[in-house]
Parts: sequence; C-alpha cells; structure tokens
Amino acid sequence: MDLQPNKWILCLFICSFVTGICCNSMEKKIYLNLNYTVACVRLLNATHQIGCQSSLSGDVGVLHVLESEENLDWVLNTGHSPPYMVILEAELFTRSILMKLKDGSRRVAGVAVIEPNTNLPGGFSPHTTCPNENSGVYTETYDPTYAHCNRTMWNPFGNGLSYEEFPFPIFSMKEDNDTRVIRQCYQDHNRGENGSIPQYPLCAMQLSSHMSAVTDTPTCMRRNRIQNDFSISPEMVCDPLGGSNIWTSTRPINNTEKGHKPSQSVVIAAARMDSRSFFFDLAPGAQSSASGLIALLAAAQALRNISDEDQPNRTILYAFFEGETFDYIGSSKMVYDMENTRFALDLDNVHSMVEVGQVGIRPQGSPIYLHSDPVSRKNDSVNTEVQSLIENLKEASSSSNTNVSEPEASQPLPPSSLQRFLRARPFPGVVLQDHSSTFTNRYYESMFDNPENLNMTYPPELTPEEQLSFVTDTAKALADVATLVAQTLFLQAGGDSAKATSITADPQTVARLLYGFLVKSNNSWFEQMIPSDFKSRLVDRPTNFYTGVHMQKSEPSFLVEYILANLTGTVVNVTQEDCKAQRENEDDKESRHLYSYMWVQGAPVANSTDTDSLCVRSSVRLSPAISPAFDLDLLSSADYSTWTESRWKKINGRIFLVASHELEMLTLGVGVGILLLSLILTYLISSKAEILFCSGREPTSATY
Amino acid sequence: MITRAALSSSGNSKHSGTSTMNLERVPNEEKLNLCRKYYLGGFALLPFLWLVNVIWFFREAFLKPSYSEQTQIKTYVKRSALGVLLWAVVLSVWITVFQHFRAEWGEVGDYLSFTIPLGTP
Repeated sequence: MDLQPNKWILCLFICSFVTGICCNSMEKKIYLNLNYTVACVRLLNATHQIGCQSSLSGDVGVLHVLESEENLDWVLNTGHSPPYMVILEAELFTRSILMKLKDGSRRVAGVAVIEPNTNLPGGFSPHTTCPNENSGVYTETYDPTYAHCNRTMWNPFGNGLSYEEFPFPIFSMKEDNDTRVIRQCYQDHNRGENGSIPQYPLCAMQLSSHMSAVTDTPTCMRRNRIQNDFSISPEMVCDPLGGSNIWTSTRPINNTEKGHKPSQSVVIAAARMDSRSFFFDLAPGAQSSASGLIALLAAAQALRNISDEDQPNRTILYAFFEGETFDYIGSSKMVYDMENTRFALDLDNVHSMVEVGQVGIRPQGSPIYLHSDPVSRKNDSVNTEVQSLIENLKEASSSSNTNVSEPEASQPLPPSSLQRFLRARPFPGVVLQDHSSTFTNRYYESMFDNPENLNMTYPPELTPEEQLSFVTDTAKALADVATLVAQTLFLQAGGDSAKATSITADPQTVARLLYGFLVKSNNSWFEQMIPSDFKSRLVDRPTNFYTGVHMQKSEPSFLVEYILANLTGTVVNVTQEDCKAQRENEDDKESRHLYSYMWVQGAPVANSTDTDSLCVRSSVRLSPAISPAFDLDLLSSADYSTWTESRWKKINGRIFLVASHELEMLTLGVGVGILLLSLILTYLISSKAEILFCSGREPTSATY
Repeated sequence: MITRAALSSSGNSKHSGTSTMNLERVPNEEKLNLCRKYYLGGFALLPFLWLVNVIWFFREAFLKPSYSEQTQIKTYVKRSALGVLLWAVVLSVWITVFQHFRAEWGEVGDYLSFTIPLGTP
C-alpha cells in the first residue's frame, strides 16, 4: 500500500527528467546550424589539385565581415584573435583579395561569400582566360601562333580562381535569415566600441568540408585501387567526372552494330550540356550552356516535321556533349569511340559538323558569327566544304530573321567540341557564336550566368504556369537562331532550298525550354515528358548544369534525354509492358537496334489525377561520357581529360559564441585540479577509514 | 607475462602449484632453462621475449646472492638487453623515416602503408 504513491512519484520524476533532457538539447542552445551550405570542393587532374580543403573536424574562426580590401590588414596582421572566418560581400570576391588570404592562411580559418540578389556590374568569371587551353586542337604542333590563346583571349574577365588551390574552406551563402543572424552576431560581439579591442566571447563560425582525395588523379585512383583490393570495407577517395552524351538522328541508325556504316553520310549538329562555377553543384550556365542547348533542341523539333519525300540524303546526327567544361570529356570520348569501332558510326561517316555555342546574348539586330578553323582550311578540299557550309548558313539566315557574319579569317576556333574532332582529322565544321572575338558572356562559368545575364525577364504579376508559356524577347531571338540552325542543317544534309524556307522553330517551345532549364524544371510541360517514376527529379530551382561524377546522371542529361525524345520522336500505340521492354509487340526483336522506347506520363486527363501515359518511340541514345584516360589507364596523360572529384563525408557550417583560449585552459586546469584533489582526498580518507568512521559497531549477535 | 612477473615480485603467489608464476619456488636449473628458452625464442624476430627476459630475470641475475647458474643467466640477460636495444634503435629509425618521407615516396609509400590518411598527402 505504501509503495503505490512512491511508484507514481518515481514514474513522474523519470518522465519529466527524460522530456527535460531531450527537449532541451544543449547543442541547439549553443550552435546555430546553417541551412544553405554550398562549398567549394576539391577537383584533381593529372598533375594538380584545385579547390578547397578544410581540416577533418572543420575549421573554426572568429567572424569578420570584410569592409574593403584595406580592411584585410585586420585579418592578416593586426587582429587580436586569429584565426578569422572572413565574410565577403560579392563585390569583394576578387582574385587579389583571395590570393592575399591564401598567402596569410595561418590567420584565416575560412571564407564565406554572400551571393547577391542581382548580378554584379562589370563581369566576374572564375574560369581561366583561355578555357580548355591544353586539350583543344591548338597545340604547339598544330600551329604555334594559335596555341595558348596567343591570338584571341577568349575570356577576358577570367580570373582563374576556380583553378587555384585553397587550404581553407570557402562556402557560399544566400541573403536570407542565416546571413542576417551572422551580421547581427558580428555587430553585437565582434566590433569593439569606439575602436577598442573586441572582448571575448566572440561570434565564431565553423565550416567543415574535408576532402578525402589529395595530390592528383593518379594518386587518388591508385588509393582507390588499394582500398578496393586490400580493405574489408573499401573507402573510395575520388571519382572521375563524366556522365552520358545524348545523341539521336533524323534517320534511325542501327546502334547494335558498331563501327563504319557504309553509305551513311552524317552531318553532326553539336551542343554542350554542362557548365560549372566556383562552388559545387551551383552552375546556372544560362549563356555558356543552356542557350546553345535550347537552340539545338528547338531546331531538332523544327526538322522533325519534314515529310518523307523531302528528306535530305545525308542524316543529321544531333549530339549533346557532357563534360565539355573539363577538357572536353564527352566529345573526346565520342571521337575515341568512333576511332575504335565502339560507336554506331565511324569518323569516315562524318561529313561535316555544325556546333551551336553561346548564342543567347544578342541585343537587337546583332549577328551570329560563324567561326571556323583557319589551319584546317589551308587544305583546299576542307576549305571548299567550309565555304559551302557558310553559304548554306547565309542562305538560311536570309529567311530566318537573323544575319550572319564571319569573324576575321585568321582567328582560331573558340573553345568548342569541334576542336576535339579536328584533333582526329581535319574536316569541315563551323561553330555558331554570338561574339566575333572575345566572349560577350561576362560571367562565363560563374554563379552569375543566370537568366539576368540573358536579359530574360518576366512581367511581375504572372503565375508560374503563365511564366512557362510567356515568350520573352530572349526566347524570340533564340528561336530565330534555332530556325537558322534548322534550315542550315537541312541544306547541309542535301535538302531542297525551296523546302528549307518553310522550316521554322517554335518560339513557344523555346520559351518553355528556357523557363524549364533556367527558372524551374518542375513545371507541367516537363512533367508530361518524363516517366512518372522520375517525377521527383524535377526541382523547384534552376537546373544545375554541373557535370558531376560519371556514375550520377546530371540534371541536364536527364532532361535532355526525355525532351529530345518527345520533340523528335513519334507516339506509338504500344502497351506499357512492351514499351518498357523496348519492343513493339511480343515477337519484335529488331526494333531495339534502331529505336528506343520510353513510357512517359503524358498530359493530365480532365477531371482526374491520372495522366494519359503513352509510349514515345525515338532514336535517342546515351553514349558514355567518361574520359578515355580512365579506360586506357593513362592517368597522367596530357591528351585526354583526367578530371576527378574528391569524395567527402560531410559539408556543413554552424555559428556559435567562442570563449578566449585562456578561459578554456583555465576551465580545463580547474577541472583537472578538482579531479586530482578528489583522488587524493579519497585515498587519504580510505586509508584512515578506521579512525574516521569509528561507528562503535556492536557485534550483531542477538542478545535475548 | 609482465603482470605475472609483477605478481611474482610482490611475493603474493596465488598459484603455488605451477612453476611459471613465481620464481621463488622454482629450482635454479628451471630458471636457467626458462631464461635460455626466452633468449633463444627472441631470435625468431620476437624482441618482446627479450624484453620480458630482461625484466623478469633482472633481479635473479644481478640482485640475488650468487649461485651456480647465475653467471649463465647473467649472460643471457645482458645479451637480451642488447638485442632489445638494437631492435628499439632500428625500429625508431625506420618509423621516423617512414612517417617523414611516406608522402614523398608516392607509390611506394602507398603500397607500404596499412592505412592511408584521407585528405593529406
């Protein structure tokens, strides 16, 4: 009877204890975790490592919001509580400041850059001034006057930051709650009053982005192999960059038989599908990648409706290359496959090539420039072919509301996939760009290469659905380029001039593609074109054009595969089971060699949540885009791309108040002292126990 | 082995029956035999046997009043000590060299390592 209330009291006590502990987490009271953390990661190639590295448990530094370049003196020399975590506004994210921080890196714990809401005036490009300098066609042996961008410096705004190595973490943050908290914390704690020294406790930040790989690609791939062979639970340290190239053709090509296809002459229409920025997984790539990609997609759709009797005699092969930013991964792999009978075609089958480069920034009436390679044009037969291609382009431009112009005759090709094809053999090709010498893109391969760079703006009161279908001026200009490309390809493939003028690209398609790639890929039009299982891969933010590691499909390659299939393929009446098994009916064994089948979601049916799923038959194929250096195990080669990305365990950041070092040591010392004191006391007491605890114990024998 | 030696030196033997625990009760010939076994065993690349030899038989060899087998035991203990010293020097030198130069040796360093640290050369 007496135990019942005791039991209840005990229960109550335990419950309140437990709730008190777990709902009152000490960690949450001390640390404020940053929500949006985008870090710069380490990439390695045959000889170098680039990017940033933090220490294993993260780097802690006292916050300092940098006011100007002169204020760096506080961080590097005069500040009293190094190491510092430097917060940079976007205007201060320049090469000179970062190089100074790198030199004084003993006092620098890390850097956090705040992304602005609008692009910086002027320009900013963390890429080099001469992109893909050593992996294009212009080497000393090809022609020394053009090597290393001697003739034209393509990216004048380039400061090369992406290709430097930093011994501290560099993160990027958006202007949101966290940044406000950081600035407030800095104001409250880290600024001394009236120029006096700020007193502890100070506001500090910890950034953690420890990269596993080190030195260069041969080292990290060797360590991968050692881990694989000798360890029980292998721990990989790096992965090669790459993905898949997407290609399709106007006439189906047998993909199972590799190598030369007799009497097939092909015109390649190429575009690149990737971009990058200084930070990992943040690559809007509007002008550098999306503009050319979208123009070619719209051109492919425009050419789809050619009826059979008007089909030109040459086939047009649309190729979208992955990984071109990193020394032409995709195009070098395709050329390698073509040379080694691993691709459905051979280099002998290729007649000529048209590449669509950066074509998005075109103020009213500005021309499209037709770049070609002056060295290969020294050969007469190549020169005549290039001339006829340019004639076709001029003919197409007259009926497509664009004007074309050739740059100076002795100017080399800009960085483009055509350069890798020219490395294999000289043959005719033209690259379309919106600039005649240096890039018009002031934000090449940076986080500012976004719709604002293309002057693409929507009226403010539109809903997302309305924005999807709204045709901006940028879309109209890009549709004109797409028409130009489509008509040129038709003429180049041997089509009839009279029929060419009726080929036009649809501005509505271009507008939707621009919205889907650059604003939000989670929209109703894209949803209809992908299988329902992949719906979660559509996101509410701009597409990330970063190539990523080769095992993971990049976002653009996923989107381009299905969009291209829907825009160039036909809907066939095939059951879902057959469609997914790549056949038209039960007995069909031949279709898989020529076609690929996709079961896509289709348009939503009225008054229900179901969609009208259907089977799309197209010739869209994936071809691996991983550098031949990894297949051939030539990891120190200078001929192929050797880029790998390091692995990491966690990337996060948090803010907290930090006490002075002396206080920490004092606390530790006091603790150790108390421990020793208690040990001594216990020993003394236990040795004198009989004297201290004379409890006058009586023998316990009962005396009754 | 070392704990048993410590126990035996405190003279508080719990296992009076077995001869390995307490050298007090062991006849001198047995002691010599043990010392010799440990000495010879150490040549099989087992320097810790020599170390045990030194620690265990140190008192026997140098601090006890002399008996007939003691001179032999003394030589064994001295030679074991020499062996331990040699091993210590060689291992220290190798460990220092390896830790310092492993990063520069590249491929060789990686193949010699059991665990390779992440993120540092």
